[in-house]
Amino acid sequence: MISCTEFIPAYSELFKFLEAQGGKEAVVKFWESLSDEFLTNLRDLAATRGLAGCFEYWSHTLREEAADFRMTLDEKNGTFEIDMRHCPSRGRLNESKHIEPYEHYCEHCDVLYRRVLEPFGFKFNIDLSTCKDATCKLTVEKSLPNKKSTVTGS
Amino acid sequence: MLDPDQGLRILDCKATDHDYLHKDFHGALCYGIKYLDDHYGHEATAEFLRQVGRSYYAPLSQQLKEDGLSALEKHWREVFTKEGGRLSLEFQDGVLTLMVHECPAIAHLKKTNRLFTPRYCETTVVVNEAICGAAGYKSSCQYEPGEGRCVQKFWKTKE
Repeated sequence: MISCTEFIPAYSELFKFLEAQGGKEAVVKFWESLSDEFLTNLRDLAATRGLAGCFEYWSHTLREEAADFRMTLDEKNGTFEIDMRHCPSRGRLNESKHIEPYEHYCEHCDVLYRRVLEPFGFKFNIDLSTCKDATCKLTVEKSLPNKKSTVTGS
Repeated sequence: MLDPDQGLRILDCKATDHDYLHKDFHGALCYGIKYLDDHYGHEATAEFLRQVGRSYYAPLSQQLKEDGLSALEKHWREVFTKEGGRLSLEFQDGVLTLMVHECPAIAHLKKTNRLFTPRYCETTVVVNEAICGAAGYKSSCQYEPGEGRCVQKFWKTKE
């Protein structure tokens, strides 16, 4: 048994293995499949409870992963944010001196969660510019009827 | 959490606030095994697992080489304690036998309906072989798919 506490390095090795088989395209295909078949809990929560469902989902997973984060749900303004101050997954990979993390490791979060949330009409964004330092910022926005548009017409 | 009446909720956690134990990762790995089997075949799945055994578990192989079977005993006791599984270990005539009475991974996969493939336990078979092979040891694992029980044996290769 690979312990769940040892899963992340195995996950990273799986991405490397897939890339060796069929390039990055093979890795992205796996992420898409995992999103469709495995993230049913997030999909169900987002479908029934919207942004509050996102809050519920990540409250559970990030606590179990012992992450260092601040999560904000603002239902009035239709926004949900995770400010990840130390990602436990990337952090563990960085700490493991005897293995090299998969080059595009952090991109799996973008593919997996975008694919679940955008079909519900949410605007999904994740800033991975500092992800190699185990920090990132995820934002999900809902279109509200009275929300001012940020797009200006001519 | 602040002012739920206004629809504002905040959760602020430090890494030290919780223990690291996210059992849903077993489901993601189980899905990965099924995906590899379906798209690349069983031998590719085995090659991936050997890669994990040779790379991530290299320090455990080194400990096995240096300290003998007590290194594996320590490893398994730690894993099963963290995950809340039930096992017994015995050492006789140069063979370490690990009897898994309740596998925490299988228990969680069944509880969450995430046992995507009966071949999940091949992770144990192949990763053990890779860890042991790198240290001059051998291993066996007898299991019935999805039962959550198995008997694993470890012994030193005859020189």
